[in-house]
Amino acid sequence: MCGIAGILYKGSAAADAGVGKALIDMLDGCQHRGPDSTGFSLYRDPVPGHLRLRFIVGDGAEARAAIGRVKTKLTEFQAKIVEEEHKGSSFAVLVKFDGDLQTFSFEMEHAAKLSSIGESLDIIKDLGGAHDVDNVYKIGNFKGTHGIGHVRLATESDVAPEATHPFWATGFSDISIVHNGQITNYYKMRRRLEKQGYFFNTDNDSELIAVYLADKLKHGFSLKEALKTSIDDLDGTFSFLVSTKDEIGYAKDKLAAKPMVKYEDDKIIAIASEEVSLNRLFPGRALNTSEPAPGTYDTWQRSISA
Amino acid sequence: MATIDLSVTPVREANERLRKYGADGIDVEVLNPDARHHIGVGLTHPVNVHIRGSAGYFCGGLTDGPRFIVDNNVGWGVGDNMLNGSIVVNGNASAIPAVAIRGAEIVVKGNIGSRAGQVMKAGTLLACGNASFMAGYMMYGGRLIILGNSGEKVGQDMTGGDIYVAGKIGEMGADAMLIDLPARERDEILAFLDKYKIPFSGTFQKIVNAGKKLRYPKTEPRRRAIPFFESFADNSYWNAKVQEDIHIKSQIGRYRIRGYGAARPMPHLSDIAFRKDIRIGAMSDPDVLSKVEMRTEVGGRSGANPLKLSMPVMIAPMSYGALSKSAKLALAIASRLSGISENTGEGGMSKEQREEASQLIYQCLAGRLGWNIHDMQKANGLEIYISQGAKPGLGGQLMAKKVTPEIARIRGIPAGIDLRSPSRHPDVLGADDLVIKVEEFREATGYRVPVSVKLGAGRVRDDIKIAWKDGFDFVELDGMQGSTGAAGNEVLEFVGIPTLSAIQEARDALTEVGGLDMPVVLMGGIKDGIDTIKALALGAHAVAMGTSAIIAGGCIACLQCHAGTCVTGIATQDPEHEKRYNIPVEARNIHHFLESVRWQIAAITHALGYSDPHQVSRDDLVALTPEAAAITRLPYHPEYRERDQGLLKAS
Repeated sequence: MCGIAGILYKGSAAADAGVGKALIDMLDGCQHRGPDSTGFSLYRDPVPGHLRLRFIVGDGAEARAAIGRVKTKLTEFQAKIVEEEHKGSSFAVLVKFDGDLQTFSFEMEHAAKLSSIGESLDIIKDLGGAHDVDNVYKIGNFKGTHGIGHVRLATESDVAPEATHPFWATGFSDISIVHNGQITNYYKMRRRLEKQGYFFNTDNDSELIAVYLADKLKHGFSLKEALKTSIDDLDGTFSFLVSTKDEIGYAKDKLAAKPMVKYEDDKIIAIASEEVSLNRLFPGRALNTSEPAPGTYDTWQRSISA
Repeated sequence: MATIDLSVTPVREANERLRKYGADGIDVEVLNPDARHHIGVGLTHPVNVHIRGSAGYFCGGLTDGPRFIVDNNVGWGVGDNMLNGSIVVNGNASAIPAVAIRGAEIVVKGNIGSRAGQVMKAGTLLACGNASFMAGYMMYGGRLIILGNSGEKVGQDMTGGDIYVAGKIGEMGADAMLIDLPARERDEILAFLDKYKIPFSGTFQKIVNAGKKLRYPKTEPRRRAIPFFESFADNSYWNAKVQEDIHIKSQIGRYRIRGYGAARPMPHLSDIAFRKDIRIGAMSDPDVLSKVEMRTEVGGRSGANPLKLSMPVMIAPMSYGALSKSAKLALAIASRLSGISENTGEGGMSKEQREEASQLIYQCLAGRLGWNIHDMQKANGLEIYISQGAKPGLGGQLMAKKVTPEIARIRGIPAGIDLRSPSRHPDVLGADDLVIKVEEFREATGYRVPVSVKLGAGRVRDDIKIAWKDGFDFVELDGMQGSTGAAGNEVLEFVGIPTLSAIQEARDALTEVGGLDMPVVLMGGIKDGIDTIKALALGAHAVAMGTSAIIAGGCIACLQCHAGTCVTGIATQDPEHEKRYNIPVEARNIHHFLESVRWQIAAITHALGYSDPHQVSRDDLVALTPEAAAITRLPYHPEYRERDQGLLKAS
């Protein structure tokens, strides 16, 4: 019920690329597919030995209470806050932490709604269109090599920040997903993953894809191999984008039921639900785009070292 | 040549200008299209339109006559339902190019996306590059020429038409087969390529329908018809119908098809009663019609011209095809005489029906049978059919006996097949796609007419939220007590959701999202004015009547609608049977019935102490059974049953 977009800048100058502005433009271009909420997965510079966490805390007294719970929990885990920021409905921290990430993240869930954890990953999502979210979080200024984003049409669940994409792979650092479609074997796959000890933060099928891929990566698969198996293991209609610290990738179901268009040149690879989004990057220019074939997947790696 | 610059002109305004230039015969150049959707939608004049860049979804859709050139790529559904004219795409086309075309020529110089030519009826789609998954899926006619490779499952479930592949053929689709290419057809293709200046010297392999799935292998033996009420009388275990079913299945070895709706006892509006004492005297007031305001508007919530009904009642959608032209005419006349709306159903709009009905809703189904821009522009409302209460999730069925040459011509399909209409729209695979589809309809008709959605009751809570989210002007919600011209018996009896549950879930869902501004028109077993008021009190804005209207017009409920040999001339296309149908007499009968509904609505509204039936609320209702109470959360008061029966007798 949505539109998706992702971009990766290639080459050595990529670190200073305007990935924030590019994602805003692309998501604004397909906002008709989802006017209710908008989200961005951005990758900030990692600080060794540190983690970034972002929580959805709401506002007012509710927010103050949630932030209090987060801080208490962080103290329990001896995670020392280096930076903190409370903007819009979210609370973000950079903490010094070197314990077990999975236990830490499952526990932090109990403090407040966690939207992302990563050395680099920062998922910013809130109600409204791309420009509304930008007005609060100033995403347009963000520089980086790559990122993905999503516009949501809320049909089944509420219009709420926590139901907004992108989804983080709960329990894993730096992996995020944006997805258009429906996974029909959701419960079967979820039960399989839960048996392995994973915890699900929402009932959203996009979170399932994120955890599924993260599990594959944990077992030594490359992102490309994980995408390949996802096409066989996941049933339903889907076009999704995945991003990690260093890569972005896509997978598309065998029925080609959901749209996806890509544009690639020497400098960028950009993928979106509709060409109208890609065109926003190059107004007035006719692009040589292509549509990934049904049942295909691919990945692109950023070329500079972190 | 005129110029429209889309970097400064919104698409809606651009399309209005395009139509004006079209009418004046002026060619147009479109600058900075930047892959925007709906460019050129609704154009019906043979002008040239040059799009300098890429176009988005439904480029040149719902048109007749124009010639488009697109310098670069196009999105989903290029040339959607185009009647005549051409579109030349110099880049690639995304999914479902040439969907449902009826004569147009669509030429793509690059590759084409999946499901190319889905449900196309006539015309040509040419891909100079490769095709993708399921090229020619469910096509009914026309030709699909692929100079590159075919992709997988080519010709999947095609019914008619021809697919020509010059490159490699991937896996063949179900019910498709390869045959030899006649030399004459190769010459025709080369002439077509020559017309568009495409050099080519190779040869082709030809794919056509293999004919294994077009007809049921065995038809049901004819038996004496057992009418609805006799069929299901008394004993629910071994009644006449159960016995007949077993006998016939022992002959044909498959499920049975029949007409009409569910016969299983199911909670319904008859399990609801009015709480107040209704004075029988108040119901015989001769002036009651002047004391109650019944006029009802539906469909104006986004600024379109609403339907103006003289009472909160519509005629439910039923197709020309399932019903005879005579029966559809009688319904159209009666709807006009009673000041309410008629609905085309699946099979397209006939000229006579349009002339007789003063307000006509035009329905668009997944097979796009009988769907075209000219009739869209003549309609008072447009409706996207998602499914039907009697068979949610399934497409329509029209057995071969009723697929006459005329019906086949209107629908654009081969005559004499057991038509099983697609259950899924080619271009609506989620709420996000549906937004873009609705917008296309609005563009094609200048935002003047309401766009509604017909939902069969299934996952009502979710579906109704999607309908509201997608901005429909109203919903026609159909419960399982609704009837149909043909469906599998098991589906009729065991798949749907009762009408009572449907309206309750719809009301709950709309309350939850704050969407009560979207009217719900309830249908599925609404038989009189009493049911109408109960439906309104439970949250409907109006009701639609199908079965009761055709019974008023002579139907004897024999359940044989599918057979095509209807003795009353209603559910048949056989002139010998149809000639028994007396249009003026039956139109008058339906009109009289509708007026009795009007009187009932007025009398009960008045007797309950209100001046408008929309004022009646849940507070005026009680449930007579535990099931109805559980469904509606109304108080359970079985003692009201006696009083309710008194009311029925009096009215």
